[in-house]
Amino acid sequence: MSEMKVLTADQQPETGAALKRALEMTAADVVFEVRESGMRGRGGAGFPVGIKWNLAGAASGTDKMVICNADEGEPGTFKDRLLIEKYAKQLLEGMTIAGYAIGSSRGIIYLRAEYTYLIPAITEARRELIDRKLMGSYILGGSFNFDVEVRPGAGAYVCGEETSLIESLEGKRGEPRNKPPFPVNSGYLCRPTIVNNVETFVNVPHIILNGSDWYRELGIGDTTGTKLFSVSGDVERSGVYEMQMGSTIGELLELAGAKDVQAVQVGGASGATIAADELDRRLSFEDLPPGGSVIVFNRSRNMMNVLENFLEFFVHESCGQCTPCREGNVRLLDTARAIRDGRITSREELKDFFMLAEIMKLGSKCGLGQTSPNCFVDIVTKFVELPGGKGGM
Amino acid sequence: MSRKPVEIVASAVENHGSGREAVMEMLTDVNRELGYIPEEAIRAIAAAVGVSNAEIYSVLSFYSFFSTEPRGRNIVRLCKTISCEMNGSRDILAALESELGIKAGETTPDRRVTLETTSCIGLCDEGPAMLVNDTPHTRLTPEEARRIVAGLE
Amino acid sequence: MPNISVTINGVTRSVREGVTILEACETAGVEIPTLCYHPDLSLAGNCRMCLVEVEGWRTLAISCVTPVTPNMKIRTHSKKVRHARRTVLKLLLAAHNVNCPECERNKNCELQELAEKHNITINEFQTSPKPVSFEEASPGVMRDNSRCILCTRCVRTCEELQSVAVIKPVGRSKEVRISTFLDRGLNEVPCTQCGQCINRCPTGALFETSEIRQVWEAIEDPEKFVVFQTAPAVRVGIAEALGFPTDRSTGKMVAAIRGLGVDRVLDTDFTADLTIIEEGYELIDRLKRALVDGDPESVLPMTTSCSPGWIKFIEHKYPDLLPNVSSCKSPQQMFGALAKTYLAGKESVDPSKVICVSVMPCTAKKFEKERPEMRDSGFKDVDFVLTTRELASMIQEAGIDFANLRDEKYDKWMGDSTGAAVIFGATGGVMEAALRTAYEVVTGQEIPFNGLNITPVRGMEGIREASVTMPEKMARGYEFLAGATLKVAVAHGLVNADKLMDKVRAGEVDYHFIEIMACPGGCLGGGGQPIPTSPEIRQKRADAIYAEDAALHFRKSHANPEVQLLYAEFLHEPLGHRSHELLHTHYRARD
Repeated sequence: MSEMKVLTADQQPETGAALKRALEMTAADVVFEVRESGMRGRGGAGFPVGIKWNLAGAASGTDKMVICNADEGEPGTFKDRLLIEKYAKQLLEGMTIAGYAIGSSRGIIYLRAEYTYLIPAITEARRELIDRKLMGSYILGGSFNFDVEVRPGAGAYVCGEETSLIESLEGKRGEPRNKPPFPVNSGYLCRPTIVNNVETFVNVPHIILNGSDWYRELGIGDTTGTKLFSVSGDVERSGVYEMQMGSTIGELLELAGAKDVQAVQVGGASGATIAADELDRRLSFEDLPPGGSVIVFNRSRNMMNVLENFLEFFVHESCGQCTPCREGNVRLLDTARAIRDGRITSREELKDFFMLAEIMKLGSKCGLGQTSPNCFVDIVTKFVELPGGKGGM
Repeated sequence: MSRKPVEIVASAVENHGSGREAVMEMLTDVNRELGYIPEEAIRAIAAAVGVSNAEIYSVLSFYSFFSTEPRGRNIVRLCKTISCEMNGSRDILAALESELGIKAGETTPDRRVTLETTSCIGLCDEGPAMLVNDTPHTRLTPEEARRIVAGLE
Repeated sequence: MPNISVTINGVTRSVREGVTILEACETAGVEIPTLCYHPDLSLAGNCRMCLVEVEGWRTLAISCVTPVTPNMKIRTHSKKVRHARRTVLKLLLAAHNVNCPECERNKNCELQELAEKHNITINEFQTSPKPVSFEEASPGVMRDNSRCILCTRCVRTCEELQSVAVIKPVGRSKEVRISTFLDRGLNEVPCTQCGQCINRCPTGALFETSEIRQVWEAIEDPEKFVVFQTAPAVRVGIAEALGFPTDRSTGKMVAAIRGLGVDRVLDTDFTADLTIIEEGYELIDRLKRALVDGDPESVLPMTTSCSPGWIKFIEHKYPDLLPNVSSCKSPQQMFGALAKTYLAGKESVDPSKVICVSVMPCTAKKFEKERPEMRDSGFKDVDFVLTTRELASMIQEAGIDFANLRDEKYDKWMGDSTGAAVIFGATGGVMEAALRTAYEVVTGQEIPFNGLNITPVRGMEGIREASVTMPEKMARGYEFLAGATLKVAVAHGLVNADKLMDKVRAGEVDYHFIEIMACPGGCLGGGGQPIPTSPEIRQKRADAIYAEDAALHFRKSHANPEVQLLYAEFLHEPLGHRSHELLHTHYRARD
């Protein structure tokens, strides 16, 4: 298994080399380099990383925070687990560079409770980096200090949403905040805060060492760099694959050995469900948003069961705070079951529920409720035969 | 000899401080040591942090890993999300339920094992998968699953 | 903040930078429906009722939390917005126990009103309300979560206004519910029963424990001698509760209650005046013992004790400060104790036949009357407590045409009121009344404020302080206070009480006397008052209270003729033996 390479090479840069290079630059130049790379957040939402860092760097306020979102919970995603197992030092180095860039000396890794067994990998990496003066006080003999602590989640998917994550870190229910203020101005304990995904931080040392031009060339258009995809489901070789941005989903499935494909779920339960005739679509923010999870379904699978499984997940994981998400997912699940059981028999009967899905996307407070209806719309539209044609509007 | 809830909270305060932002760690410490979070622990945490008991209860009730009901010495969390389901997690669940004589969400009468199903645990490439306490078990077969839980103390 | 230009429904307007879309629309006269929004509370942004469309935005904007930005183009009733609102309403209604005729809040329910406004007649979402879950054991406040729409207004009220924080969201997703520590009853947690949550609930998920049935039964029982007492704030709330504009309507209220068929209509104001005398003398006594005798057991500052929500709060949260609380019973309980002793004698009725019913702006009074120590008359001093809302409901049930009633007067013996008693209904009122009397007692002169209006203690600031310097020449026996400066403070809303008591505990303040009312605005904003509430509404009620004070002949408690008679014939002297027996009490620490 494990095709994982990071930024396409098995040979990894020497630990600390990127940090050394970064500390020779001004903080503003580090932010500039990351910004020029065009890297977008690897957690799913795809916000430009350099812009986030720039805002946090410019924000007034002391005790700025660098937070790593290691609350990987999207169904079908496991790339961050492997990254922590294999590249914990790179992750910490990336966070340290981020700290230098935005003027922060404190980092937190919010680690999902399901990954408690990864703590030793992080602790050992941290110890080694501190011993080598690559973290801790007076890094590389200079005046920059940066350290990281691991803090536990406790089984709540929504805490992958950055403001929920911050609430959880503050010892509260993981309910998304209203924005503004944005975390870059007022995040953890009201301090300017950046929250980035594990993969994002792991990319940083590579960008610093190889330059933004190199990074841009790995991608397509505005979607730069590479992306790790966790592939599972009906494939011969499930695992994590690194693809250049802009590759087609077909190329990825080829690597993983998918046969008799009926559907592919790209970006996890909250992502898009595509049919077999869409495999030439490109993994990029312009086409198929490249979330980290790819789940393959062959023709033996009943997609209504898949939909039910996804919606059960969302019904369980909604924070319950806002009306469209709390109540809407329940209604979509009821409807999915009604379709499966033959209680809904025509397209007309679904009209109101497509409307509900639309309002959930437009009116929910956070990404969870805004994306959870995707699977309903996609699967019912593309994979359900009802009088009047396929299920959609 | 296990420690009393208030003792666990006291040492959690020592390790993590008594700020509001230490609440998740306090809860995690108690939950890990006792398998659940008893009333005395909630009261102690609330007092340490300076918030109402209801507030701490509200927080812990949000998270799947926390419980206020006594649970088994071992907690088995079987993934029920799609990739594991496609790899046969339903059969694993049936095997676990028959081996333990309980349904998902229940605890064996001898408090040896609590069986739960859980959302994706990030082991989709090696499913069906489950966590026994903090340890992952992957590529389960029904026989393997039975063997694992049978061996729990 | 400078002004910026925004476009609302095609009309360009200038609004203050930094205001929310909701505020901008309000200024522009464009109504946006809300549910989780409340002017007294922080912003939640949860219900998603106030969604609007902003040009260029991927999603709809939440108008209650989103600040306007220059040249923002807002549409408040586009197709998307209309659909979103209707969807949100239908989702809420589907999860709601839509049994409106059986609900306390029928016709005064924000969800019902919005459903009507948006013409929701068919709901494609199958209804599946949460199970009905009444809170039977709580004396003042009841809950029915089947009507709860999870707006968290009650949660924010309990925490932000009252610093009590006993109700919280519990669970996650569809399991989420507003609940308490380990889902216990409100009577098993440190709930003060203040009922502020009821006042801010948009639906009928929170309501008072009704005693209407018991009161009708007492009225209908020819054996019983039913005595009503009405608290100061009820007279400025009852009209509002019946659907009329806020006004003082003491005379009509007395007529309406008499119309219900009760035996006597009397006034809690009478015992409010009595409280001032007893409490005033207690304060002077404490001052003397502390300043002259150096008695370490004379604890200062002394705090008031009229507000039962406050008393329960301090019993839970500051039990070490209980010696600071005045030993005076609240006016309601003084009234009950006297109704079954003094009044029964005056009326020559068997005290066991007397049923004492209070009409209160308060739900905590329902708890207070159940305290086991409140039986000094030999009976339960107060039998039933009705809120202002419950009285309105009885008046409506009896078919009384309130608007056209002629003013009537209270019955005698315990029906006289002074302006000092009336202002008990507003925050600062007890302090003002106490100063009017205490100053005169110790100096022999009227307190030197224009028209007796002690304006420094009035107003709606959460915590206010004032000081009164005594003249050099004092009344005989009070020379020890000559030239002394009496420092006082007033707090309303338990969050302010909490702040103040923290300072008292820490020894950071040197007040002599503190007035505390549990509810924002004082009793006029009590948990039994008409719904809705807002700063503007409370201000109107306060204006009515002070108008009533100004209009009354007697403005000082010690001038109340019936109170003078009571001392002459029954109590003999303030803090005397009978007073201690009937009018004073003690408190206890609670978990």
